[in-house]
Amino acid sequence: MKREILDRLRRAIAEKRAVVLATDLAAGTARLVDPYRPDPDLDPALARAAREAAERDASTQHETSAGKVFLRVYNPPVSVVIVGAVHIAQALAPMVRLAGFDPLVVDPRRGFATADRFAGIPLLVEWPDEALARIGLGRRTAVVTMTHDPKIDDPALAAALRSEAFYLGPLGSKKTQAARRERLRSMGFGDAQLDRIHGPVGLPIGAVSPGEIAVSILSEIVASLRSPAEVRAGA
Amino acid sequence: MTGDALYHQTLVGLARAARGAGRLPDAGGSAARDNPLCGDQVAVDVRLANGRIAAFAQRTRGCVLCEAAASLLGGAAPGRTRAEVEGARAGLSEMLREGAPAPGGPFAELEVFAPVREVRSRHECVLLPFDALLDALSRAEE
Repeated sequence: MKREILDRLRRAIAEKRAVVLATDLAAGTARLVDPYRPDPDLDPALARAAREAAERDASTQHETSAGKVFLRVYNPPVSVVIVGAVHIAQALAPMVRLAGFDPLVVDPRRGFATADRFAGIPLLVEWPDEALARIGLGRRTAVVTMTHDPKIDDPALAAALRSEAFYLGPLGSKKTQAARRERLRSMGFGDAQLDRIHGPVGLPIGAVSPGEIAVSILSEIVASLRSPAEVRAGA
Repeated sequence: MTGDALYHQTLVGLARAARGAGRLPDAGGSAARDNPLCGDQVAVDVRLANGRIAAFAQRTRGCVLCEAAASLLGGAAPGRTRAEVEGARAGLSEMLREGAPAPGGPFAELEVFAPVREVRSRHECVLLPFDALLDALSRAEE
């Protein structure tokens, strides 16, 4: 690999941007492709294949008229933002890490967001909209809200709705869901946007305890990441 | 409309008005307080002149109660002395805890928080801006 390409690849990884390394297997030449940005110099079929590979999070071989191209996907890590340093969050955050994702807990309430309740888990004692604006929400981010307090959950959901986050899951009963939908509608969000919200949150496995509810939420996050079409069809 | 709904509407209006919102570039004292269980955050700047509050500014992020109380101070605090603010805070606390009548004078508007009496866990939300203001006054007096 050329030094210049290696440098750009390392930069993309450090900046948590998705890139696809396209290597012409016959010639041995490589180029970096941004899978989500149109590039007029790129063969449209190759661009489409790179985007699909990034979306599937799977490297693949692509056939062109000029020969085979290997598409190596470098996706940023999946991050799961948990708004609300509550009991279920204490179970969910370590599970998120075990699943190979990056957990982040955000809660402006000092009384809940304490390091001893979330040992080793990144924790921001901040209002979620301010924290999320600073860290940025990408298409590899899931946002789960758990405070049951609209003044904290709503701004987080609004920030997630304005982003490309792949999963939005607010905890709450059917009744609070309907009220929340109305509040978000009054903030200017339409039905198509609001339908991105998973409610009731989590897969229906009859979860009862905080740990079980965390399993149900984490399962739905994995399903949304790996088989989004099935999750949408089942919703 | 029930009495409670009327109170609520007044509180929401007061919170939205956000009187005194902003910061004082020439503040004599500044202080911030937060409520660890509710997440409310209040930051207050004051400038004193001849023992009275000449200018007041607040930045509040929190529940309607906290934002309404800070907004109320935005209207009531300018012109007051520290003793008057302390008296209003004591009167407000008595009103919330013991059902005493609202403090009169420039702080008579505190009556709007009377329904909070029944919700003990929210008393702190109303008192927080007063505590931030008293902290800022202490800094300004140093």
